[in-house]
Amino acid sequence: MKRTGCWGAVVRTALALGLTAVAAVAGAADMNKVLRISFNAGETGFDPIRVTDTYSNGVTEQIYEPLLTYDYLARPARLTPMTAAAMPQVTDNGKTWLIRLKKGIVFQADPAFKGKKRELTVNDYIYAFKRLMDPKVRSPWQFVLEKKIIGLDELADQARKSGAFDYDAKVAGLEVLDSHSLRIRLNDTDYNFGYILAMPATSAQAREVVDAYEDSNAHPVGTGPYVLKKWVRGSKIILEANPDYRQQVWDFQSGADPEDKKLVAEMKGKKIPQIGVVDISIMEEGQSRWLAFQDGQLDYLNIPQEYTPKALVGDKLAPDLAKQGLRLQRVIDPDLTYTAFNIKDPVVGGFTKERVALRRAIVMAFDTDEEIKVVRRGQAIAARTPIPPGVVGYNPKYQTAFKFDPALANRLLDQVGYKKGPDGMRLQPDGKPLLLRMATETNAIDRDFNELWKKSMDRIGIRIEFVPQKFSDNYRAAKACQLMVWGQAWIADYPDGENFMQLLYGPNTGQSNNGCYQSAAFDKLFAAAKKLPDSPERNKLYDQMSRQMEVDAAWRLGVHRIRNQIIRPEVKGFKKHPVLLYEVKYLDVAR
Amino acid sequence: MTAYIIRRLWQMIPTLLGVMLLVFVIFNMVGGDPAYVLAGKISNQEQIDNIRKQLGVDQPYHVQLGIFAKQVVTGDFGASWSTNEKISNILGTRLGPSLMVLVPLLFLETLLAIAFALAVAYVRGSLTDRAVMIVCTAGMSISILVYIIVFQYWLAYKLGWFPVQGWGNGFWENLFVYSSLPILIGLVVSIAPNLRLYRTFVLDEINQDYVRTARAKGLSDNTILWTHVLRNASIPIITHVMAGLPGLLVGAFLIERFFSIPGIGREVILAVERSDFPVVKAITIYVAVATMVANLLADLMYKAVDPRVQLK
Repeated sequence: MKRTGCWGAVVRTALALGLTAVAAVAGAADMNKVLRISFNAGETGFDPIRVTDTYSNGVTEQIYEPLLTYDYLARPARLTPMTAAAMPQVTDNGKTWLIRLKKGIVFQADPAFKGKKRELTVNDYIYAFKRLMDPKVRSPWQFVLEKKIIGLDELADQARKSGAFDYDAKVAGLEVLDSHSLRIRLNDTDYNFGYILAMPATSAQAREVVDAYEDSNAHPVGTGPYVLKKWVRGSKIILEANPDYRQQVWDFQSGADPEDKKLVAEMKGKKIPQIGVVDISIMEEGQSRWLAFQDGQLDYLNIPQEYTPKALVGDKLAPDLAKQGLRLQRVIDPDLTYTAFNIKDPVVGGFTKERVALRRAIVMAFDTDEEIKVVRRGQAIAARTPIPPGVVGYNPKYQTAFKFDPALANRLLDQVGYKKGPDGMRLQPDGKPLLLRMATETNAIDRDFNELWKKSMDRIGIRIEFVPQKFSDNYRAAKACQLMVWGQAWIADYPDGENFMQLLYGPNTGQSNNGCYQSAAFDKLFAAAKKLPDSPERNKLYDQMSRQMEVDAAWRLGVHRIRNQIIRPEVKGFKKHPVLLYEVKYLDVAR
Repeated sequence: MTAYIIRRLWQMIPTLLGVMLLVFVIFNMVGGDPAYVLAGKISNQEQIDNIRKQLGVDQPYHVQLGIFAKQVVTGDFGASWSTNEKISNILGTRLGPSLMVLVPLLFLETLLAIAFALAVAYVRGSLTDRAVMIVCTAGMSISILVYIIVFQYWLAYKLGWFPVQGWGNGFWENLFVYSSLPILIGLVVSIAPNLRLYRTFVLDEINQDYVRTARAKGLSDNTILWTHVLRNASIPIITHVMAGLPGLLVGAFLIERFFSIPGIGREVILAVERSDFPVVKAITIYVAVATMVANLLADLMYKAVDPRVQLK
């Protein structure tokens, strides 16, 4: 037996023996069941209002609970109640949301509660919403509630002036009907507000806990299925089943995926959570994660990109891995990579015939298939619209207007006056040199992209220069409309096309519209879509927005990345969710 | 001696001021604006200004420099901008794992390199000497990354002699189980250049007249090497070892990453990536102080090993 195997067994046995004693009070969870997973990077903390990284949020998702969540199996992702007793009653054209809480939900025990059980009430959500808007907390999630709830922004404005947020002040848009009923009134129609209520950042927080501890990142106390048992920053996180967690039963319906039936058969009727201990190790290097998984130290793994050629044959698991009983789940992430042209830039910006033609030519000269093959190692699909598959509003039948066609790109440039100079490189129509300045960073993947861009621009005779800067500097310059061209990525905050289309909305310039795209036609379509609930009519508007963006060539659409999860046979109930970060509470391990 | 030490300590103050100024200028020039990272995916100018105000980076440079000076004097660098963790806690919890790997490594690499250097210097010019030098040159030409990848794969994963990665709870478990392979890799990487360097120090001495005299007096080769030659060669060796001491405070970034060791090296790189100025400031200042203290200690050790050295 390998030495590591011995040590692993010793540690597991010790952990199991030590935890058996508390198994009796842990409700459904079996404290002998340990799930071992890894994070690719260190967490930053566990205050859901302050953390933005996937890993920290992956933990807060287990500890805290928002009002709503997502059905585990439904695709595209569908909202379902979490602490709410039922889905909100939406009236007044999406402006009023009535929510009733389940009764009897209690917070995890904490000294801040002075030994008493602390029941969850709607005031804990109101406190969280207020805290999210408190300028002193400087929450990176402030945008999710900004200008949404009647009176909340005004309270934040007062806090900016006075220097203190009045948490006791009443907010007109947050009406407490009773301790378990809340009516939220919005400034405008927003049928997507339910998604906001499903984000970890809007989870309930107990005011007395936040007040009791100086570092809110280090003392997470929620109503969720797990509690933070041990935290060695940047190294190890141990979660244990919350003994006070309410009775919840695994009762999801099988979707169209044939694998769902097997999964439902494995899990239906079991109490949530089944796993008593979640052991999370931070492993930043792909080789370390891959070898640790192969060595049996991890129960499932997002295959590191550099190992996909070894782990996969096409889109199937390599035979040697399949023989071990390992399973593969491939999912397209709800994300988008894109290259934004600065529409205010004097060289590539504007809506004149020449500038639009220039941008279209650049789009047509870039071979996205080569990007997928070389840079993404086959683990991505080409984006046809800004909305990824699995996100509400995605249209699989939508055909992109501009395909890879350097010959056509060259003809287009010739036609609109971007003539080639004596050195074979193109000049602007007024005879000035044409130079594309692309903002970049200094990572290995950026260097790969730069090579691809150079090759692409050589095809159409356009000089390109790469300007490497730190991400924060590029980000600042983009917000000020000072970058000419910059490649970016967007991961869905919630699975609705609006979350992607807002990146092109004119009034969002300086916030999230980093290409500074200002199109009256697009903005009109966006505003119209905002007024509608999920419907064929709204999907049609999304298609029109995609087309408008293409016609103006505001972006070069990149890819949607594929996530490859490899799972040990002992893990039951695993299905990668497009929005939920870690599915831990819905899993079981047969060990 | 006391007067010398006090004088050297006084001299540290202007050096520290220079370091502070340099760190401050460099970070403000190329460090990036942390507010844009902390503001999240969607933010407006008002939020960014609010963050800059809270971090104090909207203050005039002379005010910020004054705050920095106060932090250096009090030793309280506040909290990390990105995680809100106290800097004292970052240093207190991350230095231990780094030192757990680097202290035994420094100790072993110095002892082994000295022993091997004496041995090959003794047989200088022989086939053994030439073979060792060729192996050392080849060893030095290979990147530490290659050693890590190969050793982790073969020794840990394939042969199972060591854990693939990880960090435990107890001191001895960490030292003997989780630090063994990182120390071994560190040894393989560092022993070759040190051996070559120390060999030249020894060779410089071995041809001196006092060695010939000692031989003529009938002293054994072992006595000559370990007592007389080593003592005289130890001054440059001490210089080299002491110069490496402050490096202990910045950890071994690659080794820590690959073996998931929660050390200070990873923290330094993360801090730079996140434009987390308080962490960068604190570590830079501590390294500067450590460098000056190590230099002072080296000078005192010169005096200890060679009475001819005068401290002025």
